[in-house]
Amino acid sequence: MIITLRDINKTYPGIVPLHVLKDINLDIAKGELVSIMGASGSGKSTLLNILGILDSYDSGEYLLDGVLIKNLSENRAAELRNRMIGFVFQSFNLISYKNALENVALPLFYQGIGRKRRNALAMEQLERMGLADRAHHLPGELSGGQKQRVAIARALVTNPSIILADEPTGALDSHTSKEVMQVFRQLNDEGMTIVIVTHDPGVGAATNRIIHITDGEITHSDD
Amino acid sequence: MIDLLREIGQTLRNNRLRTILTGVSVSWGIFMLIVLLGASRGVANGFRANMAGQSTNVISFYNGFTSKPYKGFEDGRYVQLKGSDVEVIEHNNSDIVSRAGAYASVDTAKISTSRDVLSDGFDAVYPDVLGTSRIKMIHGRFINRRDINEGRRVIVLSDKNARTLFGDDAEAVGNTVQSLGLAWTVVGVYSHRWRSQSMVPYTAYKAVTGNTDKAYQIDVTVEGLKTEADGERAEQEIRNTLAKRHTFAPDDKSALWVYNRFSSYLTNAAAMGYLDLGVWIIGLFTLLSGIVGVSNIMFVSVRERTHEIGIRRAIGAKPRSVLTQILAESVAVTSLFGYIGIVLGTLVLQIIAGIQGESEGFKDPTVDLAIAAKVAVALIICGALAGLFPALKAVKVKPVEALRDE
Repeated sequence: MIITLRDINKTYPGIVPLHVLKDINLDIAKGELVSIMGASGSGKSTLLNILGILDSYDSGEYLLDGVLIKNLSENRAAELRNRMIGFVFQSFNLISYKNALENVALPLFYQGIGRKRRNALAMEQLERMGLADRAHHLPGELSGGQKQRVAIARALVTNPSIILADEPTGALDSHTSKEVMQVFRQLNDEGMTIVIVTHDPGVGAATNRIIHITDGEITHSDD
Repeated sequence: MIDLLREIGQTLRNNRLRTILTGVSVSWGIFMLIVLLGASRGVANGFRANMAGQSTNVISFYNGFTSKPYKGFEDGRYVQLKGSDVEVIEHNNSDIVSRAGAYASVDTAKISTSRDVLSDGFDAVYPDVLGTSRIKMIHGRFINRRDINEGRRVIVLSDKNARTLFGDDAEAVGNTVQSLGLAWTVVGVYSHRWRSQSMVPYTAYKAVTGNTDKAYQIDVTVEGLKTEADGERAEQEIRNTLAKRHTFAPDDKSALWVYNRFSSYLTNAAAMGYLDLGVWIIGLFTLLSGIVGVSNIMFVSVRERTHEIGIRRAIGAKPRSVLTQILAESVAVTSLFGYIGIVLGTLVLQIIAGIQGESEGFKDPTVDLAIAAKVAVALIICGALAGLFPALKAVKVKPVEALRDE
């Protein structure tokens, strides 16, 4: 298993504490293409943030590729995010003043890889996404689909164990959404584990397994 | 390191207006600090130049009027210094006095050659005048001890007077001038900023004017002065000698008018020290306002870039990387624009020095390399401090919260 969650609980403190995840148990195998679906406020984004080591959980146990993700220092968490996880966000989250190549190469900068090598690796990923000719364009000069493919190239550049995508088609039209999902399917065919959080049934249908989450609980899983 | 510099360069270029506004406040602070330091240095150099060539350990005594009755004498009596006081002072105060000299003046005497006549008289002096004033010999020599001992009729002319009497100041030495019906041999020619009085040995003057011994000034060079108290003690000891000789109360301050050059020097030196300190304080506060500006803008910058910091953290930036980048940005801005401020400040000082030239009380208003180095170090420290708090704030933001920030 690449992901193993056991009895994960998460509560946001406040005047009225909000118990957003309740005894979550989940296993995701290597090479799976999984979607997590649920209504707004169901806890699916919190679950993705925990899976991506962007947020912590209160109780339970989370193993990512055999590594126990618990009480990590900020430095260790950053290192694991950098080496094991590729993120794809709804709003692309590209840095506006860096061109496509520089955006894709940025995770390698934090690995201490030299400029020439990281540019070569970034260019490989852009070529894979069919964007070699857009390498020196700023995000503002790219279409939504192109931006998302640059973001996917950035997620892939460190050769991670898993890709976590948060509403990756949420800001795209239906045609571009299909193109992006095709990219995910192709990557999955090449062996990449992908977890997509979505509320779009069309996106869910394009994955191999749908995990439904309601009020912080996994209600059922469709294979 | 090169990668970090590229990252900084890209971020600063991307925020040109913010960078320039920040930089201008730092440049202005440094510019003001450099100009103020240079100006204070100019005043200090002017002071030193004024003191150059003048002994600072000299106490001058002038004739005065008594202000209190003493040993049967009424107050208001004129105290006339005498040339013979010099020997008494040297004898009675030998533990502190290295030499003394008297001045007398013959205002009405004419000095003439076959070429021209001067009617501004001459001063009768001792050899110590050369060491206690800023007389610079340009031809021949000054009056020496042998001239005094033998009462030689020799004369030292100013360059201006030598030109009047001989046409060329270089021609004067070895020739004679006529004064008081006698021939005087010119032994030297001097130059001075404002002084032009001809000078003869005090003893020769005394001999030719019928042994009159009236002096208008006695200069005493004292040794071993370190503090203001030393200066005051030496002044009082010499005053005691003169009080006994001229029969006035030793504590009667108006009986002799005294100019204690050492006390005056100490007061001026202390004033220069306070001026320097004041300038540093004003300059550093000016700089501090620039640094507060940088810090403020860095806070805004961090706030504006919270989402970007979130992205960087999500893809693997460690807190240390974020901290380093923001600190380095701050140091880069303060160093770069501070350097511009140093260059501009130095340039303005050079222009001021060029326009002003040599003038009384203000000279060479420049800052030396050591001060520039101190300012540079202060800049880097201030830059780091300005960036530290915004950087710590940036590091505290959790990636998940930063990503939510739009």
